[in-house]
Amino acid sequence: MRSQSIYKVPQGKLLKISLEYNQDNNVIKNIRITGDFFAYPEEAIERMEREINGTLLEKKQLLEKIHSIINVDHIHFIGLDAESLVQGILMCKQ
Amino acid sequence: MKEQWRLLQTGLNTAFSNMAIDQAVLVANSDGMVPPTVRFYGWMPPAISIGYFQSLTDEIDIQACERFGVNYVRRITGGGAVFHEKELTYSIVIPESHIKIPKNIMESYSRICGAIMKGLQYLGIESDYAPINDIVAGGRKISGNAQTRKLQTVLQHGTVLMDVDVDKMFSLLKIPNEKIKDKLIDDVKQRVTSVKHFLGKEMRFTQIAEAMKVGFEEEFQVELIEGMLSTGELTLAKKLEKERFSTIQWNHRR
Repeated sequence: MRSQSIYKVPQGKLLKISLEYNQDNNVIKNIRITGDFFAYPEEAIERMEREINGTLLEKKQLLEKIHSIINVDHIHFIGLDAESLVQGILMCKQ
Repeated sequence: MKEQWRLLQTGLNTAFSNMAIDQAVLVANSDGMVPPTVRFYGWMPPAISIGYFQSLTDEIDIQACERFGVNYVRRITGGGAVFHEKELTYSIVIPESHIKIPKNIMESYSRICGAIMKGLQYLGIESDYAPINDIVAGGRKISGNAQTRKLQTVLQHGTVLMDVDVDKMFSLLKIPNEKIKDKLIDDVKQRVTSVKHFLGKEMRFTQIAEAMKVGFEEEFQVELIEGMLSTGELTLAKKLEKERFSTIQWNHRR
């Protein structure tokens, strides 16, 4: 299953998620996080995309996963945050 | 004596060359080869730059760009798509550790935008910083800015709109919903201004550059000394232009 979402982060930027997931078990197969936000270091977003693959399309697990990636890679978002990222991803769920 | 920074006036260049020069200056400054640098430049042919995280094909109508002879390039900075035509673009490159650059990223945006605002004031335009990364005059956007930090070095580049053609801009950009296109264009026309629109007269690029030079000098209490790209910067810029900014791999990577 492939789907996309567009989410305006409150007081932030426009987040666009392109998602491929397995509808039988709700496991994320492939994700692309795009938009006009800022993230430092920029290259960490590609690692974040790889790390999210295999995660269950479910709020708590996604939030945990994303927080852990942010901590490990010392990612600093501007115009985006972990909660909004999860919101954008969950909006792709059909 | 005031601290001296370098001023580069590189004129009009292609999108690929412009983005390559900004990065080459960042690398050279990080290596301690060149002083903090402020650069003013323009775009020939006109071009669209997209933010590092944007999807090229989501944002840009590539066929329309080709029809109009407009280049497109992915920046190393985040932020949104920008149509560069009638504008002055600036960049500043400075060590993260420099005393005049706040450690906090949002504070450093505000500080650097302060230089642009002082420059606008010199042109007779009162403006305000509008977080995250805009400057507004009379409530309308007149400047957009984007910052990256790499190799312990800050690079911020941004625009000062000299004139703006919103209809042309939207013929080159894709929008999520065609049905609301007319309304969106009207909204943007209401939300954007330019030096020409604000003052009711045209200003030359050189006049705006002179004002921005004063703006940077006053904001940072430095003297900008006009200089040239070093041989090392030129060589690296050529390499980055060829191997990164003009390639499909880079521009279509997201």
